[in-house]
Amino acid sequence: MPERATAHTRRDLLRLTGAAALGAALAGPLAGCASEEDSGPGGPTAGDDSGKPVETFTEPSKKLSGDLKILLWSHFVPSHDTWFDTFVKDWGSKVGVNVQVDHVDQAQITTRIASEIQAGQGHDLIQFIAPLSQFEPSVLDMKDVTEEANKRWGQQLELCRLSSFNPATGKFFAYAPGWVPDPGNFRKSLWEPVGFPNGPSTWDELLQGGAEIKKSKGVQMGLGMSQEIDSNMVLRALMWSFGASIQDENSKVVINSPETVAAVEFMTKLFKQTMTNEVFSWNAASNNQGLVAGKLSYVVNSISAYRTAQGTNPDVAEDTLFVPALRGPKGAHAAQHVLYNWIVPKHAANPDAAKEFLLHYTANFASATYASKLYDFCAWDKLTPKRADWLANDPFGSKPADKLKVLTNAVEWSSNIGYPGPSNTAVGEVFNTFIIPNMFARAARGEVSPQQAVADAEKQINPIFAKWRAQGLVAG
Amino acid sequence: MSAVREAEVARTPVRLPAARRRFADREGTLAWLFLMPSVVYILVLVGVPFVLAIGFALSDVTAGDPSYDYVGLRNFRRIFDDPVFWRSLGNTFIFTGVSMVLIVVLGKVLANIMIANFKGKWIVRFLVLLPWTTPVTLSSIAWLWMLDSIYSPIDWVLRQVGLLGKPGDLLGSGSNMYWLGEPGLAMASVITVHVWRLTPLAAVIMMAGLMAIPRDLEEAARVDGAGYWRRMFEVTIPLVLPVAAVAALFGTIFTFTDMAVVDVLTNGGPNNATQVLTSWAFFRGIDGGDVGQGAAIALFLFPILLAAAIAILRAVRRMEVG
Repeated sequence: MPERATAHTRRDLLRLTGAAALGAALAGPLAGCASEEDSGPGGPTAGDDSGKPVETFTEPSKKLSGDLKILLWSHFVPSHDTWFDTFVKDWGSKVGVNVQVDHVDQAQITTRIASEIQAGQGHDLIQFIAPLSQFEPSVLDMKDVTEEANKRWGQQLELCRLSSFNPATGKFFAYAPGWVPDPGNFRKSLWEPVGFPNGPSTWDELLQGGAEIKKSKGVQMGLGMSQEIDSNMVLRALMWSFGASIQDENSKVVINSPETVAAVEFMTKLFKQTMTNEVFSWNAASNNQGLVAGKLSYVVNSISAYRTAQGTNPDVAEDTLFVPALRGPKGAHAAQHVLYNWIVPKHAANPDAAKEFLLHYTANFASATYASKLYDFCAWDKLTPKRADWLANDPFGSKPADKLKVLTNAVEWSSNIGYPGPSNTAVGEVFNTFIIPNMFARAARGEVSPQQAVADAEKQINPIFAKWRAQGLVAG
Repeated sequence: MSAVREAEVARTPVRLPAARRRFADREGTLAWLFLMPSVVYILVLVGVPFVLAIGFALSDVTAGDPSYDYVGLRNFRRIFDDPVFWRSLGNTFIFTGVSMVLIVVLGKVLANIMIANFKGKWIVRFLVLLPWTTPVTLSSIAWLWMLDSIYSPIDWVLRQVGLLGKPGDLLGSGSNMYWLGEPGLAMASVITVHVWRLTPLAAVIMMAGLMAIPRDLEEAARVDGAGYWRRMFEVTIPLVLPVAAVAALFGTIFTFTDMAVVDVLTNGGPNNATQVLTSWAFFRGIDGGDVGQGAAIALFLFPILLAAAIAILRAVRRMEVG
């Protein structure tokens, strides 16, 4: 072999290896920086903590011991996690349970649950922000916890019950102590000049005002039609307000209806007149980014984007107001933004401690609401007696202070994702395979007619329902 | 050490205990012993999951119910009726095919640059290798920001140079390109990120091939009056072709089996325009809860990957013979 080749090979190998190692060494810290900087929305702290709820403690019904491993999401409002971690440790030290808490990104949780169930080991208690009906066969029935909570604090909200109970099997596949509303967020400075100082109240007004704003100011609206969670929520809200739904109350597929076609036709018009192709690349952060940057006139989102803006762009925050679900031809509906589901897998080593902790956590839900800056709402109204006062006079610095008052009766216009039926396994798979956003997107882009888009969606949805029905997890 | 001393050492027999000597002399046993870690690794981390995937594909196992019931080919029949599956299969071939061609061509160009002598060569080599050494999810997130619908710096540059944003501009009057919102652009974006990530690997493989070409062959061609392009196409490329094939096939396998880029950039959208087999298997199997159907979709990767693996081995064999 020639001299040149041999010499190059050895030295090059060493140098390339060195360069690769250096690159990898650099990549690690860079990754760390990226995650540290992304602390998520925070917003202001309460100026006066005198209204902060006092935590309560009730002795468990039986003697507890051992370890309790909890897995839950990294909350969109980070102050919640700071509170939660201390809260759960305090409880553990009082009842003699060694608690370990793992927070992970919400997008990782279902994967993690699936792998733990296949492995038959893992966490004792797991929380997610949407119904976990697909794991029903491998989790404990939470009927006892739910009934105990009902006994202590009155009837659970129907919205939460429908998102944790399977009428086909009679099993509570999860315990649902809380939820988060999904109001409309609008920019007052943009909507006032077009004749809607209090924002739109109907879908028609949204079209009228949004089109005028886009025409006159060049600012678009942000209602996603993409393969992600927020698009799933807002498009269901539109369907329900037009009298359409994926299933009826008996879990029968009814999507192919004139009402669904009308909703798709409306969205096509709304897209053309008020939005840009940005909505087809929507992701879970798009609402927050667009609103905080002042680039969107209207979004449908929880208050987390607003809380972020309070910290990073106070002018936009001050300019942002909220409206309840928009009224359509058949009513005013919004999907829940988040619906907390807590499950105890059958393999859990300490189910008693898990269930006792859930009751303790629920009893102190007012603290969760406060720590999350009014993001989390309780499934038992009795447990957050001050919530209406907080919303009417925001302790976290809203201007005007009653900006969030519109959320006081949010439960009246909020529905579970399976509405008017339960949030069953088939509804979950339809949700996770993004059939509804794609149905709307195909028509909005002009790829197919609204009728065809709806018919194609039905073709995808029917086998999913049939499959889970055959497994006994869906009624009908 | 002098040559005489080396010869003495070589002649001196090593005194090992009889049992050890017998063991050390048994080449067949030693061969298996040395191979065993690789065999165990492959069996545990490749063989077992593969058999498990076949088993799942023929079952009704779900994410919430690991109990096994044999259902024959039902999962396969269902995925054949699913239009998204066929779209994902087509997308997988498009991504892989286009990526492979670009990876090989750009890898060759980069390899030529990396073996050339110029000032700052090592900085260039370092920069070229960075995409390969950066974790794929991290680099995909960086690209997600680059291709953002509102804040894309690429769009900003296009606006600054007058290609975008005003009536009559080459790329349109809109303020943004919406890279991940247009089906065609989203596909191009995913391919670009794959190519950006895998080209350094191809470049390093081809650099090794280029450096192995005897210099006298090129000098002979030069003496015979061959110009740069003629030497390139009639000497260099034929000689690096087996190595280029290896680079292409590695690129194929890495592209075919990757779902991180799609997952981070588009989640398979818009409207499944960038959905690939791996991502669709994940959405169906894990997020959707139907592990059996997810496994059936993922198994479609196997025949193609098997063909790719055979091609790699044959290419390597040709290189050895050559």
